[in-house]
Amino acid sequence: MAKVESPQVTRRTTRSCSASNDAIESTKPIEPYKPTLNDLGFRQQPLSFEDLLSCLPGRRTQVLELLGLLGPVNSPMFPILVYGGPSTGKTSVTLQVFRHLNRPFVYSSCVTCYSPRILFESILNQLLFHRKNSGNSYSSIKRCEKPSDFVNYLREALESVIKNLKGNSGKLSSEVSGQPKGTMIYLVFDNLERVRKWDKSSTILPFLFNLFDILKMPEVGLIFISNTSPDTYYFNMGFVEPIPLCFPDYTEDDLRQIFMANQTNRKLYSSFFGVVLRPFCRVTRRVDELSAVFSSLFKKYSQPLSDMGVAPNEDMKRRLFSHLQPHIASALNETFQSPSRPLLKDEANRETKKKCSSRMSTIHEDFDKIDFHMSTSAKYLLISAFLASRNPATLDASLFDSTGVSDSRKRKRKPSEKSLEQKEMTELELLMKGPGTFPLERLLAIFQCITSLAEDSLDEEESHELTIEGGSSGLMSDVLLQLSSLCNANFIIKGGSCPLDGSTRYRTAVSEDLALKVARSLKFPLSKYLYRR
Amino acid sequence: MAPSVNDASPPSTVNDAVTENNVQPFFVLQKGSVRKSERKLSGTGKTRRRIDLSPELPKNSENLEDEMEEEKMSLRMEAFEFVWLKIESTIKDVLREINTSVFGEIQSWVHQSFGMIRSLGTPDFPEATRSFPIITDANSKKLFTGLVLTKNMEFVDDLLTFEELGKHLKAQGCHVANLSSLDFTAKNGIGGCLRSLLRQFLMSTLDAADISILASWYGEQNYNNPVVVIVDDIERCCGSVLSDFILMLSDWVVKIPVILIMGVATTLDAPRNILPSNALQRLCPFEFTLGIPAERMDAVVEAVLVKPCSGFSIGHKVAVFMRNYFVSQDGTLTSFIRSLKIACTQHFYMEPLSFILRDFVLEEDNWEFEIERYGLSPEVMFKHAFDLPSYQRVKMTKVTSESLAHALSELKRSQNQWRAVVSCLYETGKGEKVRLLDLFCEANDPESFNRREFDTCTKLEKDSVSSPSSRQGPSLIKGRVICEAVHLVRDLSTGQLGKLLKIWEKLTVGIKEINVKVKELQSLLKIEDGKSSKKDLIVTPKRHASRIQLNIEDSKSLGDKAAKLLERMVRDYMRPIECIPLHEIFCFKNVDKLRSALIGDPRRRIQVDLLEFQKLLHCSCCIRGSNALLPSMHDTSIMYNLAQEHGDLINLHDWYQSFKSVVLCPSSSKKKSRQSPLPKKRKDINESENRSEASIQARFCRAVTELQITGLLRMPTKRRPDFAQRVAFGL
Repeated sequence: MAKVESPQVTRRTTRSCSASNDAIESTKPIEPYKPTLNDLGFRQQPLSFEDLLSCLPGRRTQVLELLGLLGPVNSPMFPILVYGGPSTGKTSVTLQVFRHLNRPFVYSSCVTCYSPRILFESILNQLLFHRKNSGNSYSSIKRCEKPSDFVNYLREALESVIKNLKGNSGKLSSEVSGQPKGTMIYLVFDNLERVRKWDKSSTILPFLFNLFDILKMPEVGLIFISNTSPDTYYFNMGFVEPIPLCFPDYTEDDLRQIFMANQTNRKLYSSFFGVVLRPFCRVTRRVDELSAVFSSLFKKYSQPLSDMGVAPNEDMKRRLFSHLQPHIASALNETFQSPSRPLLKDEANRETKKKCSSRMSTIHEDFDKIDFHMSTSAKYLLISAFLASRNPATLDASLFDSTGVSDSRKRKRKPSEKSLEQKEMTELELLMKGPGTFPLERLLAIFQCITSLAEDSLDEEESHELTIEGGSSGLMSDVLLQLSSLCNANFIIKGGSCPLDGSTRYRTAVSEDLALKVARSLKFPLSKYLYRR
Repeated sequence: MAPSVNDASPPSTVNDAVTENNVQPFFVLQKGSVRKSERKLSGTGKTRRRIDLSPELPKNSENLEDEMEEEKMSLRMEAFEFVWLKIESTIKDVLREINTSVFGEIQSWVHQSFGMIRSLGTPDFPEATRSFPIITDANSKKLFTGLVLTKNMEFVDDLLTFEELGKHLKAQGCHVANLSSLDFTAKNGIGGCLRSLLRQFLMSTLDAADISILASWYGEQNYNNPVVVIVDDIERCCGSVLSDFILMLSDWVVKIPVILIMGVATTLDAPRNILPSNALQRLCPFEFTLGIPAERMDAVVEAVLVKPCSGFSIGHKVAVFMRNYFVSQDGTLTSFIRSLKIACTQHFYMEPLSFILRDFVLEEDNWEFEIERYGLSPEVMFKHAFDLPSYQRVKMTKVTSESLAHALSELKRSQNQWRAVVSCLYETGKGEKVRLLDLFCEANDPESFNRREFDTCTKLEKDSVSSPSSRQGPSLIKGRVICEAVHLVRDLSTGQLGKLLKIWEKLTVGIKEINVKVKELQSLLKIEDGKSSKKDLIVTPKRHASRIQLNIEDSKSLGDKAAKLLERMVRDYMRPIECIPLHEIFCFKNVDKLRSALIGDPRRRIQVDLLEFQKLLHCSCCIRGSNALLPSMHDTSIMYNLAQEHGDLINLHDWYQSFKSVVLCPSSSKKKSRQSPLPKKRKDINESENRSEASIQARFCRAVTELQITGLLRMPTKRRPDFAQRVAFGL
């Protein structure tokens, strides 16, 4: 070991090390907080083993396994890959275990460190006890972008830290509180699945997995935490495979333990839980999702109660359940779609009620319509885009010909068996394909057709002031501007170009609901033009 | 912009066209002064008019005249700046006023959520700058998010709103950063938005943007204030970058209490469509709603055009045009304000007497007409005033200072009456979504007013009684909104009517005749009230139903009276500005100018110019008026003229051949006939022919490209390599 170490140290002392020392010394007087070796530990009272298990309900086997893999003080280890679904306690367990063991570790999350450079610099900063602040104009201790540089810096930093640790343990053992134990140092990489997105995982991911072989330092332990299973990383690259440690989803009992942990009125909550847990567990077992839903539902559940400390009897439970029941189904649906929704609606309604009651009526009327302003020509453009996306292009002529509407109807009326079948097939195909793409010309042609139609009817029905302004040119100008603003609002998507003639093609992402709403606001008979069966 | 369109009409000489730009200010002024006397001659160009005019003037006085015109121009410019400043500041105030309540709401929500975050625990500096998260419970990763619904698909109007919101929150002690969708592009990734975030908070640029920097910066700021990040419009953001940003912020939310405010232009579905569920689930949303654009528009119109603001006004046709442009074209307040500004500019540009407006603004109440103040000779002024067609209509034989002043004050008086009546109508229809812009257009219509004058009182009554659907005849349709408002008054309950009358009384303070009537009605109402309260005491519960019936009848008769009063107000006092003499000084009426300035119609312009290029080039070689294509013409123009003969597909070969024949035709045929007998030079000729062939091809290609660039043509596709496609048809 000493053989490996000594040349490294001598080589390093030449330039960079002295430079870094200088940097630290120069900033010393200004620096308000100077991290020490203690900062590699948790800096809190270490947890006892019982506390550790009790604060992580349902994760007993995982905790024990992790402890086994880490081994006693100063024992070298192989890399570990902790994996499991989101919100199953991977990060918490790892961190709490380190708090319990009180060993030095360096944590870096690949969400926060969104690029290799920031990841490297964050690790080095922690190892070299550097904190960014206004004194050093928020810069890192070293600029490091390449993995090769990183290895060199890392090795050097690790050696100095380990030397420090060894010296400490020799002198004082672990009498001083807060002083991390042992001479092992652990590098924790959280959210490893994000790394796959960086430069297509070609270099960084293998490099991180390979770090154990590259460093060849027994005092360094590597722990990877990932959302996805080991199969999603390609391990047959010739490095030591990390030992997988799986965190399965919580069971219902685990969830009960987790949610009962800090409730004031346990009896009430458990009765609430009996109602709610079963249906929701079928949908999701993620603690974060469930806790958001449960907290809002529990508020509703306990709404009729005046005294929150009351212990419910059977009769009361039944009443509360009937009170809650209508909310469960909606909350269930919402959880599935978007959990942000139920809370929001609720708040919004309360908001409006608070503000003024007179306005309420108008707001509720408006819910039926579109809830935002669009100019008339943008509306027509949206409808024509919707039509162009939905209808097959071959039907355009028959639909928008002045005589075409009635013709197409007649044709539809007497279909043979076979044609019916065929139509069903094509319909299915259309459904599978989703909205179709269309070139700009087709959109404009349909737009012109429907606006001219609409303006005719408008002239007849209510001769608004529109007539003064005069005819079709009123709606037609500036269409491209409207189109671009529709694109910006994500209603129309500018797609790839057609392979045959390089023009851009468009596609609408508008739901039929919205299109119908828009059409209704214009009094445009959209359903007449939609190709269905 | 607009004058240049008129300048396209043929000037008398080429020289004149060259110097045109230099003399522009003068001759615009000339036009201003000349316009009135030559109103009937609409077709002629300005330059010619100027030349026609100049011999009439004595030569030595011309310079003097010019100087004076210049001075007047500067006067008008000054007045314009003054008036527009006034309008602009009014608009700004109005918009700020509209948003204050929402801003207040947002601010209190921000502080409330800050408190919630703080209740999870306040980390000290070493804790906050550590890389691993502080674990409390699953809710600690919730990111408080305010979704501000802007209620308008177009986003321009709200840029200012979010800026103001940032300022407002900053004033309340929050740390604020405004991010726009440009910061959330896929190209820059999350580094881009972090960088701009740090730039705004730290006031310095860093090469490696990292959120831990923000944490240590926040640690140095004493942890007392919330950090607010405002994202303008999430529809335009790149979804993946935004979701990464949200995930990162939510990981750090205990260490840096960030509160996110996002603008949503369309519906609440937008965040759901853009963000993946894991990011969405980190948000703890709260919804705020800004006023809908129509409401804002009404507020602006009320402040600028209905309430006395600057004295500047727009005519009926201009108002209708602007309204239609808002409803069917653009839908943004920004464009409305822009068109208002264009109208204002054009007005001051064209109207010689418009500088009077400045003093209109300065002295609202005791405005007196003093000619001497402007340093102009009264004669010139009178001449201008006399030339105004509206003044001529009155047939005043002699213009004196007194009569002019009287006419102006008369104008002001009737304007005030008009304002009061329009405000009354607006207040009446407010609850029922009567848009002020519609009302304004209607109330400003001189034709319907003239018709109203002829109509008898009973007829108007009939209109208002009959339901809107059963109304027939073209004359009745115009007053739709006003009729509706009158109709509304009839159906009001006593209490509502009392409130409304109170508002009316306030609005009509300046106008005695109406105010007296309103007060009469109010006293009637009081008596009625007293009666009904007395009845309350007397009537036994048995007669409850009949009492209600009675009450309804009472209020109905009162409502009828109020409606009649409103009708009379409309008939007698709502005189549109265009029906008042001298209104040209204050009122902009030229829709066509505004339209061409605002919309332009560039593609049509290009086509016209290509087809009738002689008008622009004024070259001597091309014979004006003849349709024959000459080789001396511009290539692109020849090509476009030739393309007119084709359908929507143009065979390139045919096109080229006809182009070549046009270009070569007269000269080459002559040459050939002459030079063919000389065998010696044949080689040379062939060579030159080859060369010319190449150059013709090059010219052809260039012309085609130019047509493509102007958007009139589409290049041959792989599907049909021999054909170019025409894109524009007709004019």
